[in-house]
Amino acid sequence: MRIAAGVDVGSTQTKAILVKENGGPSPVILARALTDTGANVRKAAENAFEECCRTAGISTSDVGFVVGTGYGRYKISFGNAQMTEISCHAKGAHFLCPGTRTVIDMGGQDAKAISVGPSGEVLDFVMNDKCAAGTGRFLANAADVMGLSLDEIGQVSLQAKRPVKIATVCTVFVESDILSYLAQGKRGEDILGGVHLAIAKRTLSLARRVAIEPEITMTGGVARNVGMVRALEEVLGCPLKISPDAHFMGAVGAALFALEKLGQSFEAGVWRDTHAVSSGD
Amino acid sequence: MADIPATEYRGGIHQRQKELMLDWYGQLDQAAQKGDPPTVSMMVSGNCVELLEGFGAVPIYPEVNALQLAIRHQSLDPILAAEDMGYAPDNCAYVKADIGCYVKGITPTGGKMPKPTLVLCNFVGCNTYAKWFEHVAALTGAPLYMLDVPFLRNDQPSQADIDYVVRQLHEVVALLERLTGRTFDYARFQQAVDWSRQTEEVWSQIKHLSQHVPSPFDAYFDAITLMGPLYVHRAKREGLEFFQAALAEFQQKCDLKQGIYDQEKFRLVFEGPPPYPHFRTFRDMFAKWKACAVASTYSTVGGLWEFGFRHDPERPFESVAMHMLAHNVTNRNYLQRYEQIHRYVKEWKADGIIVHFVKSCRLFSAGQGDMRDYFTKKLGIPTLYIESDLEYPRYFSEAQIKNRIDAFFESLEHAKHTGSRVAQEVHV
Repeated sequence: MRIAAGVDVGSTQTKAILVKENGGPSPVILARALTDTGANVRKAAENAFEECCRTAGISTSDVGFVVGTGYGRYKISFGNAQMTEISCHAKGAHFLCPGTRTVIDMGGQDAKAISVGPSGEVLDFVMNDKCAAGTGRFLANAADVMGLSLDEIGQVSLQAKRPVKIATVCTVFVESDILSYLAQGKRGEDILGGVHLAIAKRTLSLARRVAIEPEITMTGGVARNVGMVRALEEVLGCPLKISPDAHFMGAVGAALFALEKLGQSFEAGVWRDTHAVSSGD
Repeated sequence: MADIPATEYRGGIHQRQKELMLDWYGQLDQAAQKGDPPTVSMMVSGNCVELLEGFGAVPIYPEVNALQLAIRHQSLDPILAAEDMGYAPDNCAYVKADIGCYVKGITPTGGKMPKPTLVLCNFVGCNTYAKWFEHVAALTGAPLYMLDVPFLRNDQPSQADIDYVVRQLHEVVALLERLTGRTFDYARFQQAVDWSRQTEEVWSQIKHLSQHVPSPFDAYFDAITLMGPLYVHRAKREGLEFFQAALAEFQQKCDLKQGIYDQEKFRLVFEGPPPYPHFRTFRDMFAKWKACAVASTYSTVGGLWEFGFRHDPERPFESVAMHMLAHNVTNRNYLQRYEQIHRYVKEWKADGIIVHFVKSCRLFSAGQGDMRDYFTKKLGIPTLYIESDLEYPRYFSEAQIKNRIDAFFESLEHAKHTGSRVAQEVHV
C-alpha cells in the first residue's frame, strides 16, 4: 500500500499528516504530528514529519511522496513538491466535508476565505493583507492581556451576556482597548465576547469578497476555539462544519495531493464514516 | 524550488532601446550644462510630445525618472528625504521619489537634470499631478502652466472639451515662444504629428502580435521596455525606425512560433503598473508558471492606439487634444477600462486577469476591488488581486504575493486539466 505525506509549515505551527491507500476507494490517515514552527523552519518540518512516521511505526523511506504547503513550504528539504495552503485547505475540506462550497481558514497569522467548486477545486479566494486582524495572533494577544491561555478564551467568551464593542481590530491596539474596558470594570467574559465578535465581523467582510455559499467549513488552528466558531456562526447566520482535523486541514490536503502524485484516486467523503464531522447546528 | 525559466527576450531592439534612452538622458544633461535644448517637464499620460518638437524641446518625464530609480533599487532614499520634508507615508511614492531627487540632487543615470524651461502639467486623469507639478515648479523656480484636460465623462469628448484643450495648447505655444525665444515651427510640429501617426500604426501592429499563440513577447514586462521610446521618441524618425525594427523582430518570432518560454502555459491580462522596486522578483513569480502577459492597461497609459486612434497631421492640434482627452487609459472612465480589459481577454485569448493595486496611487487603484468582483463574479473570468506599490520598496510582501500568485495558477491549472467551471467561463 502506498503512503504519502503532507507537511504544512505555518507561521506558528507545523502540521504533518500521513495517508495510506486502504484497498478501498478512500485512503486513511495513518498519523498526525504537530509542532511549533519557531525560527528553524526546516527543522520544524523535519521534526513533524519524523514524529508522524514514528507514530505510524514506519520509516521515512516508506513514504512515497511528500507535498509541502504553508509559508515554509519551500524550506522542506525532503519534500517532492509544493502547493499553496489555499489549494490544500480546499482539497482537505472537500474531502472531509464533501458539501463544502466555502472554506474559512483562520491560522496563526492569516485568515482566508476560499470558494470551492464541486470537485474541491479553488474557484476564488481572498486573504487578509499585511494585517494580523482576524487571526490567531490577535486572539493570542487578547488572551495575554486577559491573563488567560489561548485555549481558555473561547470557552470564557461563551459566558458573555453583554459583549463589549471592540473599536479596533488591530492586533497591537486591541490591548489598549481591552485594558480600557478592564479599567471600567467590565466583566472578562463580556470583553472576550466582544473580541470574538469583532473578529467574526471582520472575517465576514473578508469572506463576502468571495461568494459565500453553504456549506461553510472552518479550518485552521482557530477552529479549535469554540467562542470563535459560535461568533462566526452568529454573524454568518448559518452553521459551520468543523472537522476534528480542522487544524490539520492544510496538511490533509497536501497529503491527498501527494497520494494523487503516486497515482491513487479516491472518493471524497468516505472518511466521514470513521472520522466524525461535527456541525454547529 | 522549481527552476525559473529564462524569460527575457534580448533582441537587437533592447540594445537600441538603451541607446535611445541614454541619448535622451544625454540631451537632458546637456540642457543642464548649457541651457540648451529647452526642456519641458511633462506627465507621461496623454503627453503632447509632438508639440515640443515644434520648438526642438526635449521632454522630462518625472515618472520615467522615478521608475528608473526604483528598478535600480535607488528609490528609498529620495522617498525618505521627501518624508523628512513632511510628505505623508501614503502620498504618491512617485511624487516623493521625484521631490526627494530634486532635494538630494539624484538622477537615475548620475547625470544632471536641467531646470525645466516650462513645467507643463498636462493634467490628465491624475489630480495628484496638479500638486506634484506645483511643487516641482516651486523647487526649481521654473514657470508652471496648468493644462486642464477634462476627464472623459462619456464615450467621446464633446466639441467644447476639444476646443477647450486646443485653446490651451495655443497658449502653451505662445508661452514657449516667449520662454525659449524661438518661433514655433508649425511645419516641424506637423511632421512630428505625422511621425507619431506612423509610429502608432507600427506600435498597434506590435500589440496585436501578442494575439498569436504563443505570444512573441510579454505585453506587460517587455512592453515596459518599449514604453520609454514610445513616449520620448515616437514623434521622431528614429522612434518610427525603432518600432519598425521591433515589429520585424517580433514578427519573425511569430513566424517561427517562438514564445517567451519553451512552452507558453498561461495567457494573462495585467491591470496596473508593476512593483518597480521588485521588478525582477515579481516577473519571476509569473515566469515560474510560464505565464505570459498578452495585454496590459499599463502599456496604454501614454496612449491607447491598438483600438484605432492615430494622430492626424491634417488636424495636428485637434488630434493632440483628442489623444489627451480620449485615447490614454488614465483619462478614460472606469467602464471604458472594463471594456478595454474585457476586449483583451476575448480577442487576445487570455486565461485570466491580474489586478495589481498600487497602495500609494489612490486615483488609478480606487475601484479595483470592484473591478475584481466584476470580472470574477459577473463574467466568470479568473481574476487575481494583489497589492504592493510601484515605487515604495517597503510596500512589498514577497511571501504573501507569491502565495496568492501560486494559488491562482494552481486553480487555473486544475481548471485547465479538468475543464471545470473556471476555465469554461473564461472566454465569455
